[in-house]
Amino acid sequence: MLFNRSLPAPARPSSITTLDGSDSEYVDNYKYLGVWLDCKLSFQTHIKHLQSKIKSRISFLFCNKASFTYAAKHTLVKLTPSITVPSVLSPKPHILPTTACQSEQHLGQYYTVPPSHFHTVFPHGLPPRYQQQVKTFNEGCVMVRQPALELISHLKRADYSKPTLRYLLYGVKGSGKTMSLCHTVHYCSTQGWLVLHIPDAHLWVKNCKELLPSSYHASRFDQPIQASNWLRNFRTTNEHFLSKIKLRQRYVWTKRESTEEGRPLGELVDMGVSRVKSSSDVVGAVLKELRLQAGGTEGGFRLAVAVDGVNGLWGRTTLKKEDKSPVAPEELTLVHNLRKMINNDWCGGAVIATLSQTGSLYAPSSAYLPQELLGEEGFDSMDPFVPVPVSLYSEKEFESCYLYYLDRHWLQHPHSQTEEGKKELIFLSNRNPSVLERLCAFL
Amino acid sequence: MAASLTGLLKPWTPRVLLVRWSRYNPYYLEPEPRKEVYHIPETELTPEQKEERELKSVRPIKAATNSVTSSVFNDPVLSKFVNMMMKDGDKIIAKGIITQTLENMKRKQVEKYHKAPEGKKAEIECNPYAIFHQALENCKPVIGLASIQKGGKFYQVPIPLTDNRRRFLAMKWMITECRDNKHRRTLMYEKLSQELLAAFSKEGNVVKRKHELHKMAESNRAYAHYRWW
Repeated sequence: MLFNRSLPAPARPSSITTLDGSDSEYVDNYKYLGVWLDCKLSFQTHIKHLQSKIKSRISFLFCNKASFTYAAKHTLVKLTPSITVPSVLSPKPHILPTTACQSEQHLGQYYTVPPSHFHTVFPHGLPPRYQQQVKTFNEGCVMVRQPALELISHLKRADYSKPTLRYLLYGVKGSGKTMSLCHTVHYCSTQGWLVLHIPDAHLWVKNCKELLPSSYHASRFDQPIQASNWLRNFRTTNEHFLSKIKLRQRYVWTKRESTEEGRPLGELVDMGVSRVKSSSDVVGAVLKELRLQAGGTEGGFRLAVAVDGVNGLWGRTTLKKEDKSPVAPEELTLVHNLRKMINNDWCGGAVIATLSQTGSLYAPSSAYLPQELLGEEGFDSMDPFVPVPVSLYSEKEFESCYLYYLDRHWLQHPHSQTEEGKKELIFLSNRNPSVLERLCAFL
Repeated sequence: MAASLTGLLKPWTPRVLLVRWSRYNPYYLEPEPRKEVYHIPETELTPEQKEERELKSVRPIKAATNSVTSSVFNDPVLSKFVNMMMKDGDKIIAKGIITQTLENMKRKQVEKYHKAPEGKKAEIECNPYAIFHQALENCKPVIGLASIQKGGKFYQVPIPLTDNRRRFLAMKWMITECRDNKHRRTLMYEKLSQELLAAFSKEGNVVKRKHELHKMAESNRAYAHYRWW
């Protein structure tokens, strides 16, 4: 090597022979004592080698982009300018950090739910079309919208020593009530609350093949299949709480079986899942225990009761007794226990409910307001509640959704990517989230 | 006027009035659904277009059918396919099946796209309309057979096909294949999306049927002289 700082790189000199007659090799770069030297005595070659080494070591970080905050990713990309990394920050419009730090400035932007959370937090809560979308796009992104942010801010500032507050999400069909509920449930789950998610209360008042008379109360009816399914999903969601919470009462199931005081809640839930016949009563027992222990000072946890389609608990059912007379909702054990849960006579948590006309029975399709869907009895039970209206997409939210679909290669029709096509989409969907989703599905 | 509107002067008009007769008086002109035609400013019109506009301001125009739209997403080939799939005039069900098919195809392809490594992404076609058109192209036969009587016997003679006939045959084969050769519990849109994706990559039963027709035509090459047109 010939070192020279001032002059440009010299031409190769003629071969240099050493003292004992052999030729010495001429090189441009040489590694000596851990540092790469080059002819100009600058550190460029050394830096290049370090970069290539770093790239091979930390490439896995860029693959798991969901696990890093926006700031961290930005720093990573700034540190390694020459590394061409497949889309860490762009072209997705905005990827946000965790639910706890979302605020007004993030309105309209999408945040990614880590894939591990889908199986634990949402075994049964998400709308079916959204589940299909998650499977297709290989990721789950939720838009941050006003109703969910409002709910989260209420939850942050509420006083949990007072009786529970009831929040009711209402809006026209397809405006995003269930997704806002799921967003809030995800927030509660990340904050370490115990989440009681009932995906659709209407499923408990219709299409029940097996209706057993209840062993506990003569005039009530049990629904074993629905109860055991729900218990199984409850167990998946709240694994870590099951061993910590201890029962405060002795429960007798049959002459030979009983669960003693002080046993962990997990045992009760397992028993409900395996013994399908008494699963409805197990659900009642679980709800009672959680209600008693939610606000407790020692080892107290916060309880979030999330009910979708709460208007199904009041009204009529399509179930019939053996003598063909209709079953009222209060004659079902599950509904009876859930109504007790929604009452505000316990403290240490919150009740977040959604109205739904889609699965409801005997409700006109144009009804969406609380008074219309809950009926007199339901409104009196829910009163007082905090109403949270869910509106259709604003212009900014529509833009964000449109850009997200473009980014995920979902809008494939060549005309849908033009201004004309976008205007047509706005016209056809009227900015209704679910209608837009169904339109973009085949375009 | 030679138009058959004198019927409306009768004292009693039937409750259901036919809006678009299939036998319009030739005096009536066809409607123009495309928006771009009306946005051309006066100065850029060619003399033929000016003449056409003047004619349209005096002549009556036929009513537009329900299937033509000024939407940018209007596709005449797809509309024809929907009409062929329709049974008993139920266009809503036929259109629903086609939209579900397009969605299903797009979902499969986009899922594959997102899971593929970087190098393979450009080869995966995600546009369901492009797949549909390409699949239909791959199913169109080039040459057909006609049954011609000569000397008391009927021979299968190879004949050239018009474009419309070719398109019709491709669509007809696709629909009959999906209706007949599927499991009782498979839904139509699922089977149709499988067949279209197979035809896009030149596999599947419909493309096989096209090849068999070509082979038959090739083997009956000797009778080509029986064709007189």
